[in-house]
Amino acid sequence: MPTSVFYRQFERHDHATGIKAHTTTYCPGCGHGVAQQFLAEAIDELGVQDRTVLVSPVGCSVFSYYYFDVGNTQAAHGRAPAVAIGHKTANPDSIVVCYQGDGDLASIGLAEIISAAQMGLPITIIFVNNAIYGMTGGQMAPTTLLGQNTTTSPGGRTTFAGEPLKVAEMIAGLDGPVFVERVALYDNRRRTHAKRAIKKALELQANGTGFAFIEVLSECPIHLNMTPEDAEGWVRDTMQQVFPLGVKKDATDRQYPEIPTPAFDAEATLAAMGTTTEQAERHATGFPAHLDPDDISLKLAGAGGDGAQTAAMLITKAAINEGFDSTDIPSYGPESRGGTSYADVHVAATEVLSPAAPHPHVLVAFNAPSLAKFGPTVRPGGVVIYDSSIVGEVPSSLADGVRVVGVPFAAVARDLGAVQVKNVVALGALQGATGLFPKETFLTVIRSALVGKRAVLELNEQAFARGAELASAVAAPAG
Amino acid sequence: MPFLVPEYCKGCGRCITSCTKGCITPGTEINPLTGLVPVVLDLTDCNACELCIDACPEPFGLRPEGEQAAFELRDPAELGGPRPYDAPVPEPLPDTTLALPGRAPLVVKGTYASALGAVLGGCRHVYGYPITPSTEGAELMAKLQPMLDGVFVQAVSEVATVNMMYGAGGAGKRCMTFTSSPGFSLMLEGISYLIGAEVPAVFVNIMRGGPGLGNIAPAQADIKLACRGLGHGNTHAIVLAPATPQEMLDLTMLSFDLAFRYRNPVVVLGDGYLGQMTGKVRLPDHMVVPGIPEWAVYGDHSHRGNLICSIELQEADLERHNLDLDAKYARMTATEQRADLHHCDDADVVVVACNTPAQLAKGAVKELREQGVKVGLFRPITLWPFPIDAFREVAERARHLVVVEASEGQLEDEMRLALSYAGVHAPPISHVRRQGGVLPSQAEVVQQVLALTHEREGVL
Repeated sequence: MPTSVFYRQFERHDHATGIKAHTTTYCPGCGHGVAQQFLAEAIDELGVQDRTVLVSPVGCSVFSYYYFDVGNTQAAHGRAPAVAIGHKTANPDSIVVCYQGDGDLASIGLAEIISAAQMGLPITIIFVNNAIYGMTGGQMAPTTLLGQNTTTSPGGRTTFAGEPLKVAEMIAGLDGPVFVERVALYDNRRRTHAKRAIKKALELQANGTGFAFIEVLSECPIHLNMTPEDAEGWVRDTMQQVFPLGVKKDATDRQYPEIPTPAFDAEATLAAMGTTTEQAERHATGFPAHLDPDDISLKLAGAGGDGAQTAAMLITKAAINEGFDSTDIPSYGPESRGGTSYADVHVAATEVLSPAAPHPHVLVAFNAPSLAKFGPTVRPGGVVIYDSSIVGEVPSSLADGVRVVGVPFAAVARDLGAVQVKNVVALGALQGATGLFPKETFLTVIRSALVGKRAVLELNEQAFARGAELASAVAAPAG
Repeated sequence: MPFLVPEYCKGCGRCITSCTKGCITPGTEINPLTGLVPVVLDLTDCNACELCIDACPEPFGLRPEGEQAAFELRDPAELGGPRPYDAPVPEPLPDTTLALPGRAPLVVKGTYASALGAVLGGCRHVYGYPITPSTEGAELMAKLQPMLDGVFVQAVSEVATVNMMYGAGGAGKRCMTFTSSPGFSLMLEGISYLIGAEVPAVFVNIMRGGPGLGNIAPAQADIKLACRGLGHGNTHAIVLAPATPQEMLDLTMLSFDLAFRYRNPVVVLGDGYLGQMTGKVRLPDHMVVPGIPEWAVYGDHSHRGNLICSIELQEADLERHNLDLDAKYARMTATEQRADLHHCDDADVVVVACNTPAQLAKGAVKELREQGVKVGLFRPITLWPFPIDAFREVAERARHLVVVEASEGQLEDEMRLALSYAGVHAPPISHVRRQGGVLPSQAEVVQQVLALTHEREGVL
């Protein structure tokens, strides 16, 4: 049937000069023209022309956008399914169709097609398999048959290049697609069937059912070096022996979940971001200048899982609550648990400039290796706070005037019945040993970190108080 | 019953075998217009089954006889028949803004700040692939976007990611990704396509140590890629270099406006410290509600006539397209230069740095000024276009330029190129460089500046 889904004139085909205004770039007898006619008719019959976005591939059908009067996107080689996901998620109401050849889809674009199919987003893939690279001039495709001559399999494809890839079966083996069928174009019956299958695949998208994939066995008479009639015969007698026709998967009783449409609401956006109008109460009377006139650096170091990172973050939050500037840089090894883990924290009266802490004023060490490594980096007159229940010996190579405060973080936490609060004991010890901020400043950030976890709040408050108390007992804070 | 304009027949003969009545036979005459041999119809026995029309690969090949038959069949220009093109000229749906009520500052890491900037900049489509040290940005988006009915898709690779952005950006949506150096390398091909097809998209690249897998520590060794190497062809994009978590938010938010203003990708380059560093971040006073631009392939009636494509087959067309891109790059260069000048007015030595090294260079300037050394900091915020308009005067007045960076000289190359094109007679240039995930330190900057001033004073 004639369809208005093809442009009246192919303006994009060499500016519609001469007969190019009404003819395709396909060679005589090429199956692409037949498959594209069926696609155009399906778009027309389903009344989705306005909503359709056609993603053209790289290959002989690269210029599909010359012909189809729909929204058109031309993709990089093999990437059409990824581009389609972009379009579909941008406008869930659009009907997104990828029209791809065997080099594009089954070779360079394998990762994209498999992941898109498994994702199962309602898009439609028309995969044209003609067992050869056309546009580049007759090279071996992933679907080239064993024994088939191509310019890159002279003498015939051997198993050294692997067996031809049966894409429809592979896609059907995935969970995502709702419909997978292989069709052909070599006679009237197959063509009528192919037309129906393409329409069905499109309909499954229009209904929101899901991902549909149609593999079309097609003829490339030029590179098969055959007449169009012989090429049809070759697909019928030879190619379909390797690529049997038929429905490979039908799970059309499913329905893909609705894809949301973004909302733009100021309050909802701020709420999602976890913002608050409340300015935290301030407890400090001024910058802790007894540690440094305007920029205090701290290093918290331990093994992964010790809680050094959380403690560092809480210090930074506390500082900012007090109106100071602060930064915290985490650093850890490749392990999610265990390995080394340390954080560099700065608290500045106005602005943190160098966020690293190669020579910290204060070191909080959760274990012996951390103390051994970073203890000697603490600047003269600084403070080292360490877990005395874990570390046996304090290194002798500390700088002049470094005050050493041992508090049994882990033992205190264990006594309280929860070893994971040892970093809160450490924060208490930091407060007790340095007077960086008042106790209430720390407790405020601890409480806000435990919003919704009332059961453990008291435990954390006890851990903090105990740490502060023990550190104060070891050495009264300077200043 | 079919009819055929011989000029539109390529003579493949697929219709011949489709006809059960033997109405169609191979032609014998070469058509002078096409050089091909069209088939010949004899419709005496035709039963109008139209199977030949299904078999014909050409859209204007065999067609059913009907109203079109009234047309002069020998006039290809007229043959199209009455097929009204009913898609209207699309109108742009403009962006709007919503005022935001005041909020307490947030304490968040740089990648989070960048994600929040994107959300406030109207981005509801995020595509990404996890890579340290940028992953937290993607993680926050995976949490935030569904709360706002937005979309986060974890792609199969960075290659798929950039192509999803090509789709969503091509549909006119504000989209972005978080990545880090090796991932950015993988995206470059796609960025070339984005630039060629004029699709806006935002890339936040938290640079880490390279080459190869390198390490996950902070570096600035993708400046060359972002400024000079965005894939193949004639490519440029605005490259923004934040220096604080606050700027991670502000510049990411800005990048969407820039991307859509120029229909071009924008790259936000941070270093690993900036991505991971937690700091104080204030929210802006508004958020953006994006519209749909008139050029988008949105998948609706009014945008039906649009095309997103980077192909121009005719050399003249492609040259024209490149000249148009050049003109666009020139507009960016003229209007989008951004820089921060710190104590440059009377500076004998000007330190040039961006990202975290600019912050610690600022620390060095403070330290040196306290010692009475006349030193300033020139911080390019746009690395491309390099802010030469602001730098020219600074460079001409200074006695020394010191480039501080975590690469082998990529920022310095950008600066030297800009100076050279601008014909600025620059003073001697030296540098403080660290590599492999090591940032220069404040002490190293101080030392270098002191060495220069002592040298000048003849102390050495």
